[in-house]
Amino acid sequence: MAKLLAPGGTTEMAMAVLDEGADAVYVGPYGWSWRQSAFELRDAEIKEVCKAAKARGREVRAAFNTYLHSTEIPQLLKKVEKYVEWGVSGLLMSDIGSIALVLTHFPSLEIHTSVGCAIINVEEIRFYREIGAKFIVLPYNLTVEEVAELKRAVDVGIEIFLFQPLHEGILCPGKCAMSSYLAARRSVDAEGKDHFLGSASRGGSCRRVCRARWNFTIDDGPYPDEVELKEDANLLLWDLPGYILQAGVEYLKIQGRERSVPLVRDIVRFYRKVVDSILASPGEISMERFALEWQELRTRWEHEREKRAGLLISETTKLEHFSR
Amino acid sequence: MFELSTHIPNLDSLRRYDLSAYDGIYIGDYTCPRHPGNFSSDKEQLSEGVERVKASGKKCYLSLYAAPRNSDLPWIREVLSATKGLPLDGIEIHNLGLLRLVREVMGEIPIHLGVFGNLYTDETARILKGYGVERIFPNSELSLDEIVYLRDHTPIQVVVPLHGKIPLTISTNCFRLEHAVGEATSCEELCKKEYWFNRESWCLKGVGRAYLSGKDLCMIEHLPGLLRTGLRCFYIYSLGENEEYLATIGGVYREALSRVLAGERYSAGHYLSMVKALARIGMCNGYYFGMSGQAYLSPSVEGQEAQGIS
Repeated sequence: MAKLLAPGGTTEMAMAVLDEGADAVYVGPYGWSWRQSAFELRDAEIKEVCKAAKARGREVRAAFNTYLHSTEIPQLLKKVEKYVEWGVSGLLMSDIGSIALVLTHFPSLEIHTSVGCAIINVEEIRFYREIGAKFIVLPYNLTVEEVAELKRAVDVGIEIFLFQPLHEGILCPGKCAMSSYLAARRSVDAEGKDHFLGSASRGGSCRRVCRARWNFTIDDGPYPDEVELKEDANLLLWDLPGYILQAGVEYLKIQGRERSVPLVRDIVRFYRKVVDSILASPGEISMERFALEWQELRTRWEHEREKRAGLLISETTKLEHFSR
Repeated sequence: MFELSTHIPNLDSLRRYDLSAYDGIYIGDYTCPRHPGNFSSDKEQLSEGVERVKASGKKCYLSLYAAPRNSDLPWIREVLSATKGLPLDGIEIHNLGLLRLVREVMGEIPIHLGVFGNLYTDETARILKGYGVERIFPNSELSLDEIVYLRDHTPIQVVVPLHGKIPLTISTNCFRLEHAVGEATSCEELCKKEYWFNRESWCLKGVGRAYLSGKDLCMIEHLPGLLRTGLRCFYIYSLGENEEYLATIGGVYREALSRVLAGERYSAGHYLSMVKALARIGMCNGYYFGMSGQAYLSPSVEGQEAQGIS
């Protein structure tokens, strides 16, 4: 049965998504996840979220999904040990070696390969399954049929984002260093964790340079319009019954640790309602009655996303690159 | 003493370019399977390509396409099958889904993990060793310290790029093709031109489906320190560059590395001028010193004339 996995960018957000019926909440430990530290939680906060989730019989997933420094692996294991004691039952991870090592020490943990693994073919899925991943987080570029085919081909759980698929494009997240090339700075915190500011893959703090307006030249001749290097996704609706019933995905992920709590709350409430109705009446699926509310949420989503990207880009333009 | 390698995309380049500076050639352009005559996708070219490289006394590695979707797996299998029996020294992959495919078709051939393979940690290197990976290009975001750590803590050979435009990201589709409004849409024609992205002081270059740094990674001023770490497996990023670039950059680094290793007093000045002349946008040190990829750190005046390494 498909579970709703919702973001906990702050403790307030985590509690809100649990209130609205998320089956699972995912949180980013400070310095370790694919988001800026403003949208990550300290240990005490994660403990609090675990307590609340346990009381309601819900799951907590911790996103240790940035690509870490080799020397940080012992730190990672210590943190995971603590979280397991508090009730975290699964992790989102990207680094292969760390996945294998975590499972050696904590075999009961369920590992979701992060979308930062940039998995794009069935053989990669087999590889991650082989090293112990229980759920594969797919990038949002596959149709219902493609996801269903993957499920048939490999015996592994599938997690999808609740985004409409963008079929082609830059392997983001996962294989992009444009942001850290243009502006990055290494910074180590009191616990010894490197927060590689400006790196998407290592610091979780991508500066969205792909969403800036660039001048494109072909043999020094200018292209008539400014260009963006990547499209952004927006919320899904019409294919949702297909992903749940036909493809049989296990987790439906709502992204949004960077978004406002009111928006995320409304999104979770919306999808809880839609998913419940699909599961209750699988033979009579019509998304039409949800369309208006969905459009409103999409508009709010796009507004917040563009505002955030604009802020990051203008900060980056002023910063240039850092020197040591 | 050391190995200096680079990528050569097709037979035409292999025939014409002066590759005397290089010990190892990665044949193929992993950024795009549609480049005409690309060794990575055109199996007809492989036999002559491998023969030419081996006849020149160099190592020959086949480079496979970096962003394969499901629909690419069958033709990649065909390319691999076409190399069976050829004296290849290794296969380079950037996608972990190709590990099993290479093993199935090629047996126990050494596998190299390319720059888009996302290798960050020693633990990952150990896992991949079990899958037949014997050499890795660390992800370009790793610092020199981290690269030395990998070298010291893993059973795998680590490659250190020294010069050229750093591959930053790759796409499953071609920006150039998507924006070829009103132009001929043959890949051969479109890719004869260079394409760049600029925004105020930001600059990137497009090559195939990849986006590269606008500035050239340049470690010519830092060779003594680099060689003191004991690293010896080096590489020049050259996809998208012309024959003058390949020959000049390769020649400069070959000579400079040899002189430092011979214990000669090293001055980067003359070499720096030569490589700077070919760096259209300028130079950077990548992430080697823990800064933004596009930053450049010049050694001190004393450091520029450091003692050679014996």
